Amino acid sequence: MNNSTSRRLALLAILAIAMVVVPAVTSLPAGIAGVKDSGCNCHGTEADSSVTASITGLPETYNASETYAVTVSFSGGPSTDGNMNLGGFNLWASDGTFSTVDDSTQLWGPSEASHTESGNDQRSWTVDWTAPESGANVNFILHVNSVNGNEGNGGSSGDMWNRADVTVLGFGDAPLPEVDPFKVLATLVVISGVMLSIVVLYIFYRKNPDSFDWENFSPWISEWLTSTDHKKIGTLYFVQGLFFLGVGGIMALMIRMQLAVPGNDFISQDYYNQFFTLHGTTMIFLAAMPLINGFANWMVPLQIGAPDLAFPRLNAMSFWLQPVAALLIFTGVFSGQGADTGWTGYAPYVVTETTHSGVSMWAAGQLMLVASSTLTGINFLTTMAVMRAPGMGWFQMPLFTWSILVANLMLFLSIPAFGVGLIQVYLDRTIGTAFYDVASGGDPLLWSHLFWYFGHPEVYVVIVPAFGVISEVIATSARRSIFGYKSMVYAMAGIGLVSFIVYGHHMFTSGMSPTLRFITMLTTMLVAVPTGIKIFNWLKTMHGGSLVYRTHTLWTLGFLVTFTLGGISGMFFPSMGMDVHLHETYFVVAHFHYVLVGGTVFGFFAAIYYWYPKMTGRMLDERLGVLHFLTAFISYNALFWPMHRLGVVGMIRRTHTYYITTDDFNALPEWAADWNMLISMSAFLFFASNLIMVYNMIKSLIRGDKAPADPWGGWSFEWMTASPPPTPSFDPHNLPELKDANEHVANEPGIFGQIFRRLMVSDDAAEEESH
Amino acid sequence: MSGVTPLFDAIWDDYMFWSILVGAFSFGWLYHHTYYYRAKEGESPNIDNLEVGVFPKEYDNFKLEVTWTVLPFILIVWLTYISWAPLDAVWSQTGPDGYHGSVCEDGQSSNNFIDASGYVRSECYHEIGIEGQQWFWEFDCYGLSEELCATDYATVEGELKPHLILKAGETYLAEMTSIDVTHAVKNTEFGMMEDVVPGQTAYLWMPAVEDTSFLMLCAEYCGDNHAYMVAQITVE
Repeated sequence: MNNSTSRRLALLAILAIAMVVVPAVTSLPAGIAGVKDSGCNCHGTEADSSVTASITGLPETYNASETYAVTVSFSGGPSTDGNMNLGGFNLWASDGTFSTVDDSTQLWGPSEASHTESGNDQRSWTVDWTAPESGANVNFILHVNSVNGNEGNGGSSGDMWNRADVTVLGFGDAPLPEVDPFKVLATLVVISGVMLSIVVLYIFYRKNPDSFDWENFSPWISEWLTSTDHKKIGTLYFVQGLFFLGVGGIMALMIRMQLAVPGNDFISQDYYNQFFTLHGTTMIFLAAMPLINGFANWMVPLQIGAPDLAFPRLNAMSFWLQPVAALLIFTGVFSGQGADTGWTGYAPYVVTETTHSGVSMWAAGQLMLVASSTLTGINFLTTMAVMRAPGMGWFQMPLFTWSILVANLMLFLSIPAFGVGLIQVYLDRTIGTAFYDVASGGDPLLWSHLFWYFGHPEVYVVIVPAFGVISEVIATSARRSIFGYKSMVYAMAGIGLVSFIVYGHHMFTSGMSPTLRFITMLTTMLVAVPTGIKIFNWLKTMHGGSLVYRTHTLWTLGFLVTFTLGGISGMFFPSMGMDVHLHETYFVVAHFHYVLVGGTVFGFFAAIYYWYPKMTGRMLDERLGVLHFLTAFISYNALFWPMHRLGVVGMIRRTHTYYITTDDFNALPEWAADWNMLISMSAFLFFASNLIMVYNMIKSLIRGDKAPADPWGGWSFEWMTASPPPTPSFDPHNLPELKDANEHVANEPGIFGQIFRRLMVSDDAAEEESH
Repeated sequence: MSGVTPLFDAIWDDYMFWSILVGAFSFGWLYHHTYYYRAKEGESPNIDNLEVGVFPKEYDNFKLEVTWTVLPFILIVWLTYISWAPLDAVWSQTGPDGYHGSVCEDGQSSNNFIDASGYVRSECYHEIGIEGQQWFWEFDCYGLSEELCATDYATVEGELKPHLILKAGETYLAEMTSIDVTHAVKNTEFGMMEDVVPGQTAYLWMPAVEDTSFLMLCAEYCGDNHAYMVAQITVE
């Protein structure tokens, strides 16, 4: 940047500041030195206490729009009778309007009055003041001049002035000006977007400060926008995921502001409904899934020793469908017509005319995400099936890779149902088909089935990769091999299988046959078995180990605490006698935030601290990391733990307000309001604490210590490459070969291993075919 | 925890017992290991000789793994078992095999009571109707006498809401329909909810045992005024 450009920018900045500041300085007469502060500049510079100014006729508390005759007067000072310029006044009010009653006064504006030429020889004047409607307190500032009339000889010397301040109380708090909540959201999103761009620019600048110009920036940015490298796409997914985690978080804060006190009207129910809908959709599809895909993209090829994914261009397409889908999902918001159906979008409400028009675009955006997820599924399953490094059988894959395999298998098999449902909804809304129109014979429950057939595996799709992360981190941190590698894999596969037969518990209260109720109750409880195996295996891994406390270790232990609690609270739902009371209450909200935030998000925070050095070649600041963990873990629990209790006493989900018990009826107990306030405050703390991590990542990227290839002492292939890894990640002509500390494992698979191998494409068969 | 329904409280207590047991076991283990097996300051010993590019030495114990597969399985079978009986009570069938008998004859009373297991039992029941629409409830007493069932309006937080007055000691079976979208009747003090899907008739037991007055909420999101779709139910 040359000098003249910077001068121009500086000038523009000064102009911009001036434009903001100038209107502000004239708005208060008492604020800035000038005419008002010195009474009148021709009557001396210091106020004189021998002049007494007074205002009468004002009430103590005004009524809206009522007109009061206000008399201002003064006494004392040098003025003498017969003096043509006996005195003058200036009266300013912070609100309301003045009007004159005779020709002795005039107005300088709607809320500023003064004397006229003909009112120049009086000691008292009267004006009418009409009170405002706002109900806010109104301040009056009166300046009076007492004049000795000697201007003929000696000018205004000896004149005196003084001021008086009066406050008239309003009839209530001034209502704050209405702000469109979407404008707040949009502003915050734009600010985040601008900050993100600045970070991107700054990173580019730091790469090479001398080449900070368009000629160098253009190829650099287009490389990012068109790359098919799994690491670059992984980073893009990751940035998108974190960005939308912030956006979803802001929406959660709006929801919590509304619920902080009962009967609140911070945002209207119209906006509230859109916020909780988009909060759910954003967090699941635009935050959690991209975060997972970010790490999957980065780590799966590295962990299995592959140069890239099997279909790099398909991978790029999977990613670029995401931001476009995000735009579609948010399209309604920009016109105040965001989706307001809940993330579950229950039929037939989702196809009725009382919904916002943004629902169609919301469905269309999710359809693109269905396409994106399907392509990702094909890509990862193929990569793992055919691109494992020599020596790596299925049962030598690192557990994170296994978790991505299970997650993608689940997603791949379940998401078509969601796609079909979305197409039906979209067609119902746009061209008038009647899949869900009850009057024409449509079946609303069909949507519930299609949605939950996908929806339940989906929540496991977002938690299973976190299991993979925890398995990696806990083994490395305890300096041990993971306990029960095979039972870990079977447990994940078991969760994958069970996930398809439990979705009925979302429809316990939708009218279900008694037999199915019982079956679903049992299958839902079954989830606890594989999950329990995983938790006990993690705990046993630490046995006899030597736990090295790093930030990712802390997050992993935090995960074990919160996820176990979430798992236990999950056991309350299958028991239907209890579930009919807990269904759709905050107990559910508490449970799934314990497993999705305390599980998925904590797991991926661990992943960030664990793999960040590998991804960027820079170490994160451990002290900031520990600070982040402590603040986030405490505020997180204060945020979600009280929700259990609120759910049990009957606070239901997705409502704009809640009712507190009165003399006439029972509802929530009085303490529920205090707890909601606590939850809302903790929500802000939790949000703020995560900014520490963002700051840490940016700071470390620029100034962090250089990372070695294997900072934590892990065993899998990603630690073999440099930090950051080269492109292609491994030389295709010289792939690494996995050695095995126990030879018999590769040659003698156990009985389950043999069955499982028969189900999968075996390495030998694939190899034979290729020859 | 008390005060929802005797049935809920009974299951809740059982579940809390097992939750605390499982929680104490897991957290005891977790906290012990995280403290006892921590690395010494600045040390990072490589216990299992982890080495980059080498699949680590196997570390497992078949018996242990089978133990914590089988024990949780037995526990969940037990939990399913204790949750089974309440299932029939909550969605009781009508007729002599059910918990609430058949429809009451004229002048017959349900004489309902809560038995030792926390289930409500009645001699017979009365039918009433609930219709949901965006965004209010409508009650229908189906010709029951004023004493058994009456409707009017009550003021809730300054808004007029439907009000259903039932008689204590009587059991009601609500026949529920919706004329537009899916709603759900949530009767917190009866510990019950059921979705009302348009085009279908849903049934919900409303056993009015003791004098009370509470808000009946809509628990399935149904659009703009969902949160304000409330009605008051008084049992007297």
